Amino acid sequence: MYPGRKMANPLSIFCILVLLLGQQTTRIFTQTVLDGTGEGLNENRKQLPATSTKNNNGKDGLANNEEYHEELVVQPLANGFVNTYFQFTTRWRYGSKENLHNTRLIPRPIAEILLYSDVKEFHITLTQGLWRYESWGYPVQDAAPGAEAWSWFAGENLTESDVDEQWKRVTSTFSGIICASLNFMDKTNTITPQYGFKPQFVSSSTKNLTKHVRYSSLPREIVCTENLTPWKKLLPCNSRHGFASLLNSGHVHNTNYHSLGIKFRTLCNNQDECILEFTESANMVYDPKLVGATNNLDFSLRRMFGQGLNGHCPLADSSKVYVNLELPLPYEMTPLPQYNITSTRGGQTSHYGVYDIQKLKDQKLFNIAWVLRKPQHQVLSPTPPPLLAHRNIVGYGQEKGKIITQITNNYYNELPIVLQENIPWYMPVYIHTLQIKNHKTGELIQPNSLQYRPGVQRTRPYYLELAFKIPSKSSVEISLDFDYIFLKWLEYPPDANHGHYVGSSVITTQLTMARNYTAIPLSGYRFSDSFNATRNSYILTIRTESLILSLPTPDFSMPYNVICLACTVVALAFGPIHSVATKKIVVEQQDSDEPRSFVGKIMRKLKKKNKNSPTIDGEAENTLTSSSSIGSEKVK
Amino acid sequence: MDKHIIKWLILGAAIRLYLCTSEWVHILGNRVEIATPLNSFKRVNEGVYLLKQGVNPYDGDMVHEIPVVLWFLTFAAEYLKHWLPFLYVLIDICTACVLYKASKVFVRRKLTVQCAELVHYAKDTEELQYHQSDESTIPFLVLMAYLFNPLSIFNSAGLTSTVFSNLLLSLALYGLIDHHLLMFLFAAVIESHRNLYPVILLAPAVLVFNKNGKLKTILHVIVPFIVLSFALFRLNYSLMGDESWNFIDGTLGFIFFYRDLQPNIGLFWYFFTEMFEHFRTMFLITFQMNATVLYLVPLSLKLRKEPILLATILIGLMSIFRAYPCVGDVAFYLALLPLWKRSWKFMVHNFIVFCFFVVSLCMLPALWHLWIYSGSANANFYFGATLAFSTGQIFLVTDLLFAYVKREFCLFNGQKIIVQGKEAKIVLG
Repeated sequence: MYPGRKMANPLSIFCILVLLLGQQTTRIFTQTVLDGTGEGLNENRKQLPATSTKNNNGKDGLANNEEYHEELVVQPLANGFVNTYFQFTTRWRYGSKENLHNTRLIPRPIAEILLYSDVKEFHITLTQGLWRYESWGYPVQDAAPGAEAWSWFAGENLTESDVDEQWKRVTSTFSGIICASLNFMDKTNTITPQYGFKPQFVSSSTKNLTKHVRYSSLPREIVCTENLTPWKKLLPCNSRHGFASLLNSGHVHNTNYHSLGIKFRTLCNNQDECILEFTESANMVYDPKLVGATNNLDFSLRRMFGQGLNGHCPLADSSKVYVNLELPLPYEMTPLPQYNITSTRGGQTSHYGVYDIQKLKDQKLFNIAWVLRKPQHQVLSPTPPPLLAHRNIVGYGQEKGKIITQITNNYYNELPIVLQENIPWYMPVYIHTLQIKNHKTGELIQPNSLQYRPGVQRTRPYYLELAFKIPSKSSVEISLDFDYIFLKWLEYPPDANHGHYVGSSVITTQLTMARNYTAIPLSGYRFSDSFNATRNSYILTIRTESLILSLPTPDFSMPYNVICLACTVVALAFGPIHSVATKKIVVEQQDSDEPRSFVGKIMRKLKKKNKNSPTIDGEAENTLTSSSSIGSEKVK
Repeated sequence: MDKHIIKWLILGAAIRLYLCTSEWVHILGNRVEIATPLNSFKRVNEGVYLLKQGVNPYDGDMVHEIPVVLWFLTFAAEYLKHWLPFLYVLIDICTACVLYKASKVFVRRKLTVQCAELVHYAKDTEELQYHQSDESTIPFLVLMAYLFNPLSIFNSAGLTSTVFSNLLLSLALYGLIDHHLLMFLFAAVIESHRNLYPVILLAPAVLVFNKNGKLKTILHVIVPFIVLSFALFRLNYSLMGDESWNFIDGTLGFIFFYRDLQPNIGLFWYFFTEMFEHFRTMFLITFQMNATVLYLVPLSLKLRKEPILLATILIGLMSIFRAYPCVGDVAFYLALLPLWKRSWKFMVHNFIVFCFFVVSLCMLPALWHLWIYSGSANANFYFGATLAFSTGQIFLVTDLLFAYVKREFCLFNGQKIIVQGKEAKIVLG
C-alpha cells in the first residue's frame, strides 16, 4: 500500500537478523568485538552501496560529505535525580536528490521518505513518564507523554489534501520503522497549527514553495522495548559499539522518565544542494535511590546503564560525554574530566566536564562515578524555571466538565505565550466559555490571536491556538467547558472504565534569558552547539500533562435486551393505531347474567371453556358501523 | 384578548422570569431531559459566538440551529445582552396566547359544524356535544395547561430553543384551525427546517385546505410549501455567506442520522448506543419512518373528517418518537388535550398515564444522578425510566385516538345501544 513501508520492512527485517547475531556476539565475545572494529559492521555495510571499508575508522572518500557524532550529557538534578541525554547526529551533505538512493550512515528508509514525499522536517518522540519542570528544569528536547509527531512539508503546488495523504504515508512508514502505532495518526487526531511549530528546515528561496505543517499525538501509546530495539537499529553502529551500547532495555525502562526521539530536517541552498540532518535522541531520568547499591545517592554510568561505556562507534567523528559540573550535592567524580568547558549563554554560565571517548587510552567498559564522600540525605530545593504549566479536569460527575490549563510565569518580564490545544473529538468543548484569567488579580486577559477550528465527532479534533501575554510573576488559568460524550458501545476500549486519553497542550514562548535552558539552537545540530550560543531570544516549548477522561459507559451486555425493549415500546404504539385504522366497531350484546365479582367472572370463563360452546345467543346479531369511526374498547 | 386571562399570563411570565433569572437557569438548562443537543442554550451561545468570530458554526459539531434563527439570536443577544431570557419568556407567553386564540376559534368552528349536524345526533348525547360555555372554558384550560404545566415552565426557564418550536407549532396550528394558509406555511416551513418532523403537518393541511378533494388543490398546499422551503434554504445559504451548504447537514442531517448519543427522554439514544453496526442504517431508517410517515397515511385516512385531531395526534407521536425529544415538546401537545374535552369521557387510561408520567418524571433525575454522579447505577436504569415515560405518552395518545372514535360513534348512535332489549357494548370486529 505504501511504497515506503514496503521498502522499509525487508530492510528492517534484515537489520534485525544481522543485529540479533551481532548482539549475541557482543555478549559472548566482548573482547573480539571491541578490537575488531566492525566485522559485523562490514556485514551490515554490504547492503550500503558505494562504500569503501578500507580505513579502520570507517572514514573514506565520502567522509567529507557525511559526519556522525555521538554525545551523552549527564546532569545531576536538584532533587537528587539524574538526567541523561544521548544524542546521535548524522549530517549528510547529499547534494542533489538523486544521491538519496545511495545511503551510507543515514538509514535507507529516511532517505526514501525524502524521495517519495515532500517532507522537509519530521519529529517523533516516544515518551513514558512525565517531565517534572519544577524540579528538573527544561529538557534538551521536550516531549509529550505517549507518542507525538509533527512534520513540515514543502513543495510546489502542494495542496492540503496532498499533504494529508503524505502525512498518512509518512506516519505509517515510521509506524513500521519503530514498531509504534503511529499509523493511528490520521485525520481524527491531526491538526494544522499556525504558530506553535516554526519550520526548522531551510529550502531554496528561488522556488515558490508552499509550506504545510501537521501535528498529532497519541497519548495512550506505551513505549516499550519493541520501540527501543528498532530505534537503535537506525544508528550507524547499531547498539554494539559506542554510546548506544548503554541503552539496554532492561535499564532504560527502569527510569522515572524516558523519551526516544527521531528527528530529521533538510537544509537546502538556492542551487538545491541539500544537507540532511538525522538526529536520534534518548532522554532518561534516573532516581539514584533505585539504581544505587550502597550510599543511596551515589551513581555511576555502570549503575544507571548496567554496564560501562563500550568504547566509541568507529564511524563517529566525535564521541563525547559531557557532565554538568554544577552539582546539587558535593559529588566527587572519578575519573575526572579530561577538560572543562565554560558556557555563557543568555546571561547564564554553566560548566561542563568533557570526556572525549575517542582519546581514551583504555576504552574497555569505561565508567564515570559520582560519589558522595559524606552521606547526604538532604537535597537542595530546586529553583523553579521561568515558565511552568499544568493542566487538569475539574468538576464532578460525568456530565459537564471544565478543562483548566494553569501557566505560571516566574520571570521578571511578561512573556508572549502560544498555547496549542489538540482536543480529541470525544471531548467537545464550548469555545464561547474560553476564559484566560489572571489567577492573582482575577482580571480577564484578552487573547491577541485566537485560531479555532471546531471538531466533528469521529472525524476531526478540536483545534485551538491562543496567543496572549502573561504578566510577569503571575499565573493565568485558561478554562474551557466541555461535555462528557456518549459513545457507541463498540467505540469504548477494552477496559472501558479506564478512560480516554487527552493529549498534552503545547506551550511555546520566547525567553530573553536562558536560565534552565539547554535546547540546541536552530543553527546547530550537536549538543555542544548549545555552548555559548547567545541569541536575542530563546524559543522554549513545554508540554502539559496528558489527561484521562472517564466517559460514561453503557451496559455492554445489553444490546439484545435494548433492541427488544425499545422495539416493544414502538410496537405499543403501532398495535393500537393499526387496529384503529383497520378495524370496525362492532356492537356486542352483554350477557345480563354476567356476574359482577372478579372471581365470578373467572369461574364463568372456566365454565365456558369446559362446555366448549360459546354463548351464541347474544353475539353480534346486530352490527352497526358508524359512518366515521370505530373503536375497540368496551363501553358500558 | 380577554381581560381576565391577563393576570394568568402575568403570573405565568413571573414564574418563568423568576426561574430564568435565578440560578435555576443553569440547573434546568443543563438537564438532559430539558436540553438536548438540538435545543440547548449553551449550544446556541456557541453558535452565536462562532458566527461573531467568523467561524462557520456548522463546520463543527456543536451547533444545530438553522442560520436564520442563529442570525436572529445573534442580533437579539447583541441588543438585549443580559435581557435575553426575557425574550424566551415573552415567546413562551406568546405561544400561550396563540394557543388560547386558536382554541377559541376551534370551539367556535366546532359549534358551527355541530349546529349543522345536530339533527343527526342521537338523543342522549348532550354531554358529548360542544356547549356554548366551552367557548370560554376550553381556551382557558388550554391556556392553563400551557402556562402552568411544570414541563413547559422548565422548558422555558431552561432557555431551550424549543420555545421557538412551540411558538411556530402553535402558529401552524392556528393557521390550520383558522384556515390561514400563509400563516401555516410560514410556521411549518421554518419549523420543518429546524426539526424535520413537522413536515408531516402537511397531511392535516392538505385535509383542511382541500375542500373539494381535487388533486389540483392539494398542489395548492404542497407547491407553496416546497417553494418556501427552497426560499428558506436559499436565505440560509446567503446568510452563511461562505458558499457552503453544510448547514443542511448540521441541522437536518444531524437529526436524521442521529449523530449525538446523549441520553434524552426518547427511545433513540440507548437503542443506537447498543446497536450492532451492520444494522444501524436499517434501524435508523425504521425509527425515522416510525416518527414520520409510518402512521401518516392510515391516520390521515381515518381522521380525514377531523384534521385538527390528526394534527394533534401527529404532534404527539412526533414528540414521542423524534430523535431528540425534550419535555418542552411533551408540554406542547399536553396543552392541546383540552381541545378534545368532549372525548375525555371515553379516555380510560387516565389514571395509568398519570402514574406513568409522575413516576417516570420523578425517577429520571434520580436515576440520572445515580448513574452519572454517584456511579451506583448504570445506563439501564435511566433507560428503563425513559421507556416508561415513552410508554405513558403512547398510552395517552392512543387513548385519545380511541376516545375520539368512540365519541363519534356514540354521537350518532347514542351512548346506550339496546340490542334485543339488552344493553350492548362496542368492541372491535
